[in-house]
Order: sequence, then C-alpha cells, then structure tokens
Amino acid sequence: MSAPAIRVSGLGKVYTVNELRHRRTLSERLWRMLRPAPATGNMPEHLWALRDVSFDVEPGEVLGVVGSNGSGKSTLLKILARITTPSTGEAEMAGRVGALLEVGTGFHPDLSGRENILLNGAIIGMTSAEIRSQEAGIIEFSGVGKFIDTPVKHYSSGMFMRLAFAVASHLLCEIMLVDEVLAVGDAGFQEKCKSKIQEIARGGGTVVFTSHDMAAIERLCRRVLVLSEGKVAYFGPAAGGIGEYRRLAR
Amino acid sequence: MKGFIARPSNEHELVDFPELLRYRHLFAVLVWRTLKVRYQQTVIGVGWVVLQPLLLTFVFTVIFGLLIHMPTDGGQPYPVFVLSGLLVWQFVAQSFQQATSSVVGNAHLITKIYFPRILLLLAAIAASFFDLLCVLGLMLAFMLGYGVVPTAGVLAFIPAMLLAAVTVLGLALWLGALYVPYRDVGHLLPFLTQIWMFLSPVFYPLALLPPKYELVYALNPIVVAVQTSRWAFGGGEPPAASMVAISCAVAAVLLVSGLWFFRRHEGRFADVV
Repeated sequence: MSAPAIRVSGLGKVYTVNELRHRRTLSERLWRMLRPAPATGNMPEHLWALRDVSFDVEPGEVLGVVGSNGSGKSTLLKILARITTPSTGEAEMAGRVGALLEVGTGFHPDLSGRENILLNGAIIGMTSAEIRSQEAGIIEFSGVGKFIDTPVKHYSSGMFMRLAFAVASHLLCEIMLVDEVLAVGDAGFQEKCKSKIQEIARGGGTVVFTSHDMAAIERLCRRVLVLSEGKVAYFGPAAGGIGEYRRLAR
Repeated sequence: MKGFIARPSNEHELVDFPELLRYRHLFAVLVWRTLKVRYQQTVIGVGWVVLQPLLLTFVFTVIFGLLIHMPTDGGQPYPVFVLSGLLVWQFVAQSFQQATSSVVGNAHLITKIYFPRILLLLAAIAASFFDLLCVLGLMLAFMLGYGVVPTAGVLAFIPAMLLAAVTVLGLALWLGALYVPYRDVGHLLPFLTQIWMFLSPVFYPLALLPPKYELVYALNPIVVAVQTSRWAFGGGEPPAASMVAISCAVAAVLLVSGLWFFRRHEGRFADVV
C-alpha cells in the first residue's frame, strides 16, 4: 500500500468567540483596560470548530466530507488548503494542492474574460506556461465565445460561472479540495463538476469535497468523513456515512 | 511538486525565498491587475500618473516659489526643486497607503486561497515603481526645459529609492498586519501619511534645518531619499554619510521587525479579516 496523499492527525481549531467580538477597534480595547469588565459574560469563550480530527486519504481516492452547517467542514478544508493554521495537530499533504473553495476567486468585474483567465489561473496556482497553453481550451470549454474580451461585469451569472469553472477544471494538481461548489449552478453545471472530479481521481489525483448532496457522495466516494460539532462522527465506507449523516440530521 | 505540512506553530523563517520564487508568476499578475484596474475606464489613463505631479509642481511653484520665496538647494529652478522631491514623496505615499491596505483590501482572496500574503504588499509597492518611472520621464523633460545637468548623484538615486521602498515595506508589514483586526489603521493612514510628508523635505530644502538636528531627522529614511534625489537632479549637497548610516539602520530594523510581526500573524489573517 502506498503512502497516504493526505494524513491528518489530531487536528483542532479553536476560535475565541469574545476575542473576535471585542477586538475590532483599538479604542474598545483601551476602554476595557481602563475599566475592567464585570466578571460575568466577558470571559473569552472558546469554540472548537474542529477537535481531534484524524484520517488518511489514499492517492486516487475521492473522500466526501459531510455534516450539517457549522459542523466544521469548511474549517477543515481551509486548514488543508493552508488558508488558516490549525490550533492543534497537523495535516500532511503529499503533493501540489489545488483549492476550489468558491468558483471564480479573485475574478475582477472590470477585467475581460480573457484577462480573468490569467488572473484567476494565477491565483488558484497555475503557472504562466500552463495558462498560456490551455487558454484556448479554457475558452472553448466555457462556451462564452465572442464575449471573451468583454468585461465580466457584463456577463450573466451563468456565463460567469461557466468561465470560472472552465479555469478551475484546467488546474493540474495532485490533491484537489472542493467546497460546496456543486451546490451552485444548474443541473448541467453540476454534472460537469462531478465528471471532472471522477476524471481527476481516474488520473491518480486525490479529491476531498464537501457536499450536502448525498446522491453525489454515493456516486463519487468510496469513503466518507462525517463531522458533527467539529468531531469525527464517522469515517468509513460511503453507505454507512450517508446513513450516519441522515441519522444526525434528524 | 512538493506538498506541505499544516502545523499550529508559526515558527517560519522570516522570508521563505524558494516559496516566493515559486509564486513569482502570481506576483507579476497581481502587479498587472493593480495597474490595469487603476487606469482602466479613465479618459486619460496613465496620463494621470504624470498630470498629478505636474499640477502639484505648478501649484507649489506659485505658492512657495513666487509668493513665499522659499530658498532652493544650490540655486535649482523652483519647479525642478519641487518635482525632485515630489517624485520620491509620491512613490512613498502611494506605495505606503496601498501596501498597508492590501491585506484587508484583498480579504476575498485571503479567505479563499493560500499564497504568501507578503506578495500583496510587494505587488502594491512594485506597481508604485511603475508610476515612479513615468514621473521620471516628466523629470527628464523638466531638466531639458530648464537646462539642468544631472550630477553624479544619479548613480545614488536607485539605491536611495530602494532605501525608501524598504522603509515603506517595513512599515506596511507592521500596519498591514495590524489593519486586519484593527480597522482603526484605515482611519490613521491618511493622517500618518500627511504628517510623514511634513517630516520630509518635500517642499522645503533640507538646508533650512539647523544642522544639529540632522541626525534626529535622519531617523526618517525618506529624508535621505529625497535629499539624494535633489542632489541627483542638479541641486544641493549629497546627504551626510552619518545620516545615510542612520537611515539605513532604521530601514533595516523596520524591515526585519515588520517581517517578524507579519509572519507571526499571517496564519490567522483569514480568521479575523
């Protein structure tokens, strides 16, 4: 058996709720120093968005992460994507990581479609050679045709999304993190997303994706990680995970 | 392609040069985006870069040169005197404000994707270098028009601008990181920039200052940068070696401490921005 593509052990992320609420302005902080707050209600509250999460993902595997809103799915993906640091534990990623936490990150409304391919491609981690060699393919795939040199603020939301997804789907990486992207767009768009995920896995790539769409999870994943209040409620074969998700949702 | 390990500790080296090198393409694209968006949908586009200092030079020549009779360095024509200070100052003011606001201004990127956050600051400063080049073109026209001959100081101009850029980067690393949790920085920024301008010899000659305060004055590295520019473009004396030494030391301390502070906090920018 080969080494795992992703190895997560004892991962935790704590947010200090009151700190977030009360550190917005400097004057507030100074005020608090001058006039000590009453003992009740102002003690920092620690909120564990993730606690003691451990799992492995094999190369070529598609792992589904499910759980209700606020269960820690997005926090997990943000740590795996290095957007934020964990409070405890570690996550080891063996390969180039591509993160698609939203469609069209960094798209600028005043720039044309072609210019946004360059911008968004660079932001999600494509090299200039990759963007140059794939530009024609991306434009073709997006189907925006003659509007490619129009500022994207004039695009319909469907065109915008198709272009953004076209760039994302040309990203070459060994580990792909996808967050709820399947939830946006029409049926045709969602279908494209799913086939893309399968294609990556067939090519030996590893995919971690979060979803509320159990049909998609069942079709794409061999194993599922179920999160509940930041903890691992289940980690194993997809069928059992879907059952656990449904049980928790009740 | 190499992977990475996400860990809680923030014990990174001050600068991860191999990583910055891997992200050079994103850096270039961020600079391009800044310039492209700044001058798109404007009628005269890049012309603004030259028009602003041109108009300011005119106004200050009338007020300080014709009405107040402010002395210049070594008999420099007043417009050349003003512009040689202004071109440094405009670079400093613009890059300082943009670099400091760059982390908060790109919150939509910070919360969605990883890249070395310092790239945002570096790109803001690099974009200001482009504007500086355009204003240098205007300077050249002024010198031809007034028959001013550049001095050996021209050789010191590039190192002086690097000194200014390092100073700006050091300060922007501190304030840019503080801006993320404390929006107060946004209110402080224009005010700070204005005070900084009065502390720099932009509209008055350095020689106006009592020499015994020179070393205190040199705590602001922009003084040395402006004075070098004056000297380069035909007026005044080069800044004293002791002033240059102090300014370089201040810039180095700002840069190293700024990098330390920024690196300590960048892992949590996405949580608080």
